[in-house]
Formats: sequence, structure tokens, C-alpha cells
Amino acid sequence: MTDMTIPARATLGTAGGLALVALTEIAGAAFLRQFLLVDDWRAVVGLLALFAGALVAMQRLPVIEANIEQAFGANRRFAMLFGTAIVLAFPFVLQNSSYALHLLIIAQLYAVLALALNFQLGSANIPNFATGASYGIGAYASALLALNWDVSFWLALPASAVVATIFGFLLGIPSMRTRDSYLALVTIAFGVVVHQLLNNLEFTGGPNGLVGIPAPELFGHSFASPLVIFGHSLPSQANFYYLSALLVGVSILFAGRLHHSRIGLAWNALRADELAARCQGINATWYKVLAFAVDAFLAGFAGTIYAFYVGFISPDNFTFLVSVTIMTMVIAGGMDNTLGVIVGAFLLTLLPEKLRAFSDYRILFFGITVIAFLMIRPQGIFPQRLRRYGG
Amino acid sequence: MNAPVTPESRALLEGKDLTMRFGGLVAMAEVDFSLRKGEVLGIIGPNGAGKSTLLNIITGLYVPSSGEVRLEGELLNGQPAHRIVAKGIARTFQSSRLFADLSVLDNVIIGRHTHMKTGIFDAIFNRRKAEAELDAAAELAERLLKAVSRELHAQRHRPAGELPQADRRRLEIARALASEPKVLLLDEPSSGMDDSDTDALMDDIRSVCAERPELALMIIEHDMRLIASLPQRVLVLDYGQKLAEGTYEEVRLIPRVQEAYLGRKGAQHAQA
Repeated sequence: MTDMTIPARATLGTAGGLALVALTEIAGAAFLRQFLLVDDWRAVVGLLALFAGALVAMQRLPVIEANIEQAFGANRRFAMLFGTAIVLAFPFVLQNSSYALHLLIIAQLYAVLALALNFQLGSANIPNFATGASYGIGAYASALLALNWDVSFWLALPASAVVATIFGFLLGIPSMRTRDSYLALVTIAFGVVVHQLLNNLEFTGGPNGLVGIPAPELFGHSFASPLVIFGHSLPSQANFYYLSALLVGVSILFAGRLHHSRIGLAWNALRADELAARCQGINATWYKVLAFAVDAFLAGFAGTIYAFYVGFISPDNFTFLVSVTIMTMVIAGGMDNTLGVIVGAFLLTLLPEKLRAFSDYRILFFGITVIAFLMIRPQGIFPQRLRRYGG
Repeated sequence: MNAPVTPESRALLEGKDLTMRFGGLVAMAEVDFSLRKGEVLGIIGPNGAGKSTLLNIITGLYVPSSGEVRLEGELLNGQPAHRIVAKGIARTFQSSRLFADLSVLDNVIIGRHTHMKTGIFDAIFNRRKAEAELDAAAELAERLLKAVSRELHAQRHRPAGELPQADRRRLEIARALASEPKVLLLDEPSSGMDDSDTDALMDDIRSVCAERPELALMIIEHDMRLIASLPQRVLVLDYGQKLAEGTYEEVRLIPRVQEAYLGRKGAQHAQA
């Protein structure tokens, strides 16, 4: 029992740390930009190989990872401000490609969904296959409010999140009577029931869904019109890009705060050993239901933005397969790691789009790529980290 | 606490007629026990005698088929496990059940769960309060770890799953103490340890008791060296029934106890 894992030592000063943070963020953004804009399949494969190479390097030389991690930890505020600046500036370097912006919006919405599921799957090990259903409930609730009662987007947003949360509770409470694979079955059933209801109820428009959801407006500016900033005109998708980026930001904030609190600790305890957790005074039922509610709350937000962005929703947008995709994002990205989950969401949203060159074989390549990444980093692209306190 | 009885005479934790049936199987039949403040009670008995069943009843993991458990006169049975911890009963497990993928420090902080109050809204919107509470818990956990074992404290940022066996047991004890219990239940603390580890463990338990004169301990053990030296009283269980109760010197003379621990031949030898 003497084989201690030797933690890789970080070796950078303050200036080096700042430079490393800036460099890492710029490299990440540049990579994402290239990946969004390439068309040639050879370039796509090349970029994926580059990404895989970077992961292999990090796996082989833990000192790289340790340095980056330490630099981000020491310069948290700078990392956040610089990252925000990059996110704000990003649409300007996309050559006005509305397709790239569209992909980014979808990727960001999936990032929110994956972060939502991460509260359950990552933090508390609850296999919830109904995140897609909560997403759908949020989308339908807001669309119905907008179409039937002319409720504005800004009111529909919190209202639909509340509706989704209520359904999250409704799912969470019966789920508490089961666990593990049985719990997964209950959530799958819930997802299927929601899909069937949306498909068959009259007021949800049946299989045709809901059409003509109006674009949101803010201070007289319609989100359907191009966004002009400093005389620079961006495609109308930029409106939703910034909106969904804001939601990702809020989700990251939620995730960080919950993780570093009594609640995150209780979830982690339940994940590790439920019986032992109960014997530390943790009310297992309450904390599990809470995880369901938080998941549904964020998924409801994402659903609303999706509905108002696309303007048309149908039950097929919210199938069981959507839930499975979200789950894959969390697992491949890294359970209980915010950055990992977001990277997973982006990778799995963009991959099928970028592999279109392989036409019929693209799902096959998609699968192979996911498996390859899991082989390089079995714990996910960015695995879970231990908490740090004070200094 | 306005009861006229003196603390010495009143039981802190008390079990009456505890019976546990699983279908047709009777795992425990009409067992009585009592534990006073500051007392150490040892529980011995062969495998399957119902020792762990008794612990599970006390901690609320099992609801007894009949009988009652009272802490300071308050009825406990039927209450869920997490509420019983809040009332002041903490335990460790025979097969150590640490939160293996969390740090040693996190394990102890989770042990303070019942003393923290942060809810979901505080965690998100009242960051200052949530953080202050967590930092205070972390500080207390560090002190507790240091008091239990300096070695363990030095490893506080490692995942608990990487600890060697003896340190795991120490960490379980530290985690249980973090809830500031009135009663601490130890389920075979020395299992899987060699003699020198067991000696160190006994010293640790002694110092824990010395620092907390009010704390009552209930120890399930097979190691007779530990049973001989730590508990003031020993309760013997066999086939789910109470066979005997008394000091170690008394119970070790009972033929059935000798049979169980020395084997039949050894017992005859000891009798002779």
C-alpha cells in the first residue's frame, strides 16, 4: 500500500500563469472556429486527430494538465473575463456564416442540457433518461403560452422553467421507490409518455407540432433581424447565440455554486455510497428529488430558447434519442466536471454535422470517434476533480 | 433535561424487547440493552448472532418487528436513518464504506451534514453564507482529522479510496465524530487489521473517549484483546438472543462464549 500517486507538480509563476490561461483559451477558441468553418472531410479528420493528440499528450504528461489547471485556479477572475471576451467576440470571426452560428446555438443549448443532467448523472449517479422530455416540456410550455396568450418570451422563459420543474418533481417522486436500472426504466417510461402525449394531444398540435412561435424582442429589437454592433452586421442567429451563451453562463454558475456547497457534497456522497450517505444524516430521497428538479429547471430554459429560436417545434425534437445523446455527452465529456460536460456537448453536437461527407456512414464514424475518445480518456475528456478549500 | 434522576442512573440509549423478523427468519429475539453516558459497551457473538442487525436497528436502517429503541427517552424506531443521525447517533461500518472518490477532507465535511443548513437557494443566491458555512465545516474537519491522526490529516487532499486499511477505519471514525454524536457505534473496527494496527486503533479510540467524556460507545468486535481492554461491559449475542451481559471477566467464563471463541475442545480445556 505504499504506491502513492505522485501528483504532478505545477511549475509556473504569475505571468506565466496568465499567459498560459490566455493561450489555452485562445487555442480552444481558434480550434472551435476552424472546426466550425471547415468543409473538407480531410480537414475535419485532421482537426479531430489534433484534438486526440492533445488529449494523448495530456494523458502521457500529467505535468501539462497540472500546469493548466493550476494556472486557471490561480487566475480564476482573469480566466473568466478573458473567456467572456472571447465568447462575445466569437461571432465576428465566423465570416458571417449563419450555419456556424446555428451550430453554436444548438451546441450551447445541448451544453445547458448536459450540465442539467450532470447534476443527476455526474453528481449523484442518477441515470435519468428523461432530460429530453423536460427539454420538450419547457419548449411546449413556452410555445403554448406565446401562441395562445401572447405571453412574451421573457415571461415565458421563467414560466416554462417552473412548469418543467413541476414535472421534474412529478417524475422524481415515483422514481424514489426504485433505484439503478429500475430507476432508469422509470425515467425512460416518463420520456416515452411525454413524447406520446405531445404526439396525441390536440392542444399540442399532435405530430404537426406548434408553428409560428414569434421571435423574441428586446427594447424594440426583434431577434429575427440582423444584429448590428459597432456598424458591423451579424446574421440574426447572433441574437440567439448571445442569448444561449448567457444561459450557458448561468448554468455554469449554478453548477459551480451547487458543486461547492453542502448540496453538491450530499449528491457526491449519494453517488459514492447511498447507505453510508444516509448514515451521515443525508436525506437521500429529498436530495435525489432535488436533482430531478434542478435538471428539469435548466432543461426547461433550454427548451424555451430552442422553441423561440426555431419557431417551430414537433414531438420528434424531443424523443428518447435526445435524452440518450445528452447522456452520452456527460459520459464522454467527463462526469461531474463542468468543462468536460460542455466540451462533450460541443463535440457530440458538431461531429455528426461535420461528418456529413461520409453520408450514410456518418453515424458509424460518429460512434467510432466517441469510442476512440473514451479509449484515450476512459474517465471522460475532462474527469472529475477533487474539491479544494481555502488555500 | 429537568428529570430528577442522576445522569449516572439514567440510560442514554436503551433497547427493549427488540425483535427482528425477516419473513420466517428471526434475526433477533427480545434483546434488551442499555448504554449510559461515557460508557463503552462491547458486543460479541459468533457470525450471524445478530450483532450487525442490532446496529442497523439502532441506526434506523431496519425497523424492528417489535420492541423499541429510545435515546434519552425519545422513541427512535420508525424514524429514518438520516434523522437518527441528527439526534446524535453515528456509526462506522464493518466493511469500510467511505466515499472513495472524494477527498479525505470531503468525507469528514459530509459527516457534518446535519450541522449545516445551506439549502438550494442559499447555495445559489446567498453565496457568502454558503461559502462561510462550508469553510467553517472544512476548518472543523481539519481539526478533527488532526486530533484523530496526524498521518491522516497529512493525506487530507487524497481520495479516500487510496488510503490503507488502518487509515480508512480512522477516517470512518473521524467522519462519524464530525456529526458530534452522543453515541458512537463501531462495527468491527479492527477487522482486517494486524496486531500493531489494532493496538494503534485502540489508542485512537481511548484518546477519542478521553477528549469526549460524555460520549457513549458501542463496539462490535471479534478481537478479544480489544474486548478485554476497552469496554466496561460486554453483551453476548447468540442466535439473535442475549446470552449474557457483564464485565469481560464474567462473560469469558460462560461455556458458550468459550465455545464460540475457542472452539469446543478449547472450551473443555478452559473449563477443566
